[in-house]
Amino acid sequence: MSNGQNGAELRLVTPGMAIGPVAGKRVGSGAIAQNDTIIATRLGWTKEFNNTVSVDPINSAYMPRSGDLIVAVVAEVRNNLWFMNVNGPFQGLLPMSLAPWKVEFGAARQHMGIGDVVLARVQEVDECHNVVLTMKGVGLRRLNQGTIVSVPINHIDRLRGEGNATVQRLRDAADSRIIIGENGRVWIDGNAEGTAWARQAIALTQAVGHKTTFEAELSALEQNAPKKGDA
Amino acid sequence: MVELVPTLLRQELARLAEDDLRLDGRKQWEGREVTLETDCLYNAEGSAKVVLGDTIVYAGVKFELRTPWPDRPAQGSLMCGAELRPVAHRKYEPGPPSPQSIELGRVVDRGIRESGCIDMESLCIVPGEKVWGVMIDIHVLSDGGNIFDACGLAAIAALRTAIVPAERFDVGEDYTLKVKGTPIMASFTRVGGRYIYDPSEEEELGGDERIHITLGDEGHLHSLQKGLRGVFTPAEFAEIFEVAHHRCTELRTLVANQEGN
Amino acid sequence: MGGYGDVQLLRDDGLRLDGRKIDEMRPVEIEAGVLPAADGSAMVTHGLNVAVAAVYGPMEAHPRKIQRQDRAVIDVRYNMAPFSTSDRIRPGFNRRSREISKVTAEALESVVLVERYPRSKIRVEIEILAAEAGTRCVGLTAAAVALADAGIPMRDLIVGVASGKVEGTVVLDLDKAEDNYGQADLPVGILPNTGEIAFLQMDGDLSPDEFNLAMEYNFKAAAEIHEIMVDALKRRYEGGEN
Repeated sequence: MSNGQNGAELRLVTPGMAIGPVAGKRVGSGAIAQNDTIIATRLGWTKEFNNTVSVDPINSAYMPRSGDLIVAVVAEVRNNLWFMNVNGPFQGLLPMSLAPWKVEFGAARQHMGIGDVVLARVQEVDECHNVVLTMKGVGLRRLNQGTIVSVPINHIDRLRGEGNATVQRLRDAADSRIIIGENGRVWIDGNAEGTAWARQAIALTQAVGHKTTFEAELSALEQNAPKKGDA
Repeated sequence: MVELVPTLLRQELARLAEDDLRLDGRKQWEGREVTLETDCLYNAEGSAKVVLGDTIVYAGVKFELRTPWPDRPAQGSLMCGAELRPVAHRKYEPGPPSPQSIELGRVVDRGIRESGCIDMESLCIVPGEKVWGVMIDIHVLSDGGNIFDACGLAAIAALRTAIVPAERFDVGEDYTLKVKGTPIMASFTRVGGRYIYDPSEEEELGGDERIHITLGDEGHLHSLQKGLRGVFTPAEFAEIFEVAHHRCTELRTLVANQEGN
Repeated sequence: MGGYGDVQLLRDDGLRLDGRKIDEMRPVEIEAGVLPAADGSAMVTHGLNVAVAAVYGPMEAHPRKIQRQDRAVIDVRYNMAPFSTSDRIRPGFNRRSREISKVTAEALESVVLVERYPRSKIRVEIEILAAEAGTRCVGLTAAAVALADAGIPMRDLIVGVASGKVEGTVVLDLDKAEDNYGQADLPVGILPNTGEIAFLQMDGDLSPDEFNLAMEYNFKAAAEIHEIMVDALKRRYEGGEN
């Protein structure tokens, strides 16, 4: 995951640590400029891409960004809107007008109640972190079956793999539908065996996804998959 | 804070129960790995750390000299308290002890007290004047499910390693507290319609009522508690009682082995 | 700070009762990520002190009245476990723990980029499991590691260290006897990379020269502890690039 890395060596840094001189470089996320020096603000790996120096954090909370596809849980219902838990610091708001159904005022509860799980998109985030969600869009819907597995935000990329290769392998082997929410919630829908296998595979991705042994371990796990690979 | 229970979680737990499966692959009556460490806290007269899956609990024993209760002039006292401080989970909020903390402490307290493992008269120094007060404080650092069993185990293990600090209080020489038994708790939660042993955090979140059983060395019941909304049948109880018996015996061996080291 | 009493704190060979040199700190060990339920956590063993810190958040600030529209608030609770001291402590907040929680929160707010998270709060829970003098410093160090472990953006870490004076001599990192019978205690929170100070308390009696020497010792110790903090954070993620 170091494409675009131009020469600079990848380093694990801690907050406050000097990454290097500013020297005309732009300062990206996870870093700040202080007295002509770029300082890390997160625990993570340094990255230099397009003349921008940043730190890829090793751990981070989910901060919604507009356009994110997320798995949200209904936390509160009002007459004309739903408050959604999005696994971030603040609840998201889904107004009646952005629901996929035609909802009469006061009838919100008939469509979705507390605890219901949905696939939604972040419509808008303002400076005060107010989050508006939408369920208008292809595939956005209430999830009536399947299960949710939580993964750390920084593991999402490795779970997807290059060009979604890893998650596709998981889908095939588990013979299940798998959707990765940007907010660290993964939806799995398959039979009991497939779901259990997918859980195992996700756990493996988290434990060793960053190591060179990952490919071999995932292949070994695929041998025990409900639906074996083409091999 | 009331935790949000996704409907999909309850559905999944119910489906797994039908196939006699659990989220983490355990069998119905299978417990998570337990590690027990004793004498791990400087300044506590007896101490223990229990790690049960993602749950981490410490217990520390302290002694104080006090005047006995007028109706029991020749008896010392035992008190066991638990704190569910906000360090342990996002769901715990600061403030005075919650009903949950108090329940937890009292259930553990009853199991130890009623087993009779501490002879209250042995805690008497001068009848009517001076007795030992023994205090077990339980501190939950990480709630990954089934804190009751972890707390019960930490409390008795800490007590069994306690040294009475007589020298510091000018009442003789230090000696090992005499503890005659090892009461052990086993906890069950209804998940997906049936009982399981040693619930994980997710199983507790998506589960229903729970039952805590504390058994003494002879297999006698010393404390029972049913918590949370829900009901159970005598037949269900008979089944988990049987399981509790086996699990408590295994955990008692763990405590004994730790002491043997 | 009490008087000398009958206790001799410095031995005739110039070493301290526990054999340390004047400017030698107690051994420090740090482990990050020790609490599975927390978003970030750390355990710091400093001499016989044991402090654990857990971080939760950022999350919506409740109650509303503590919310700040322009930044996050850091909600710190410093607490000593009932069994952490030689005489049992009754559970619950007291004046001492409230004061320490307040100044610790303010110190942490000086390094955390709080303006990134308006209206939210970051909970920092510091639990002292065993106390042997200097717990506020050990707790501060643990909190800083736990915040970094939780991925909270900070412009620097903070290291908690203390120096003091016993029998007229400035010494680094007071132990229990030195704290009880010494003449001064100067706990500080140092930003190891910038050299700034975010936490400062003192009680006792120090001349200006003694103060300067005590601060010199504190900075020396902060550099040593910083290395251990960095090592703890890196150790948690060794094994390759993310």
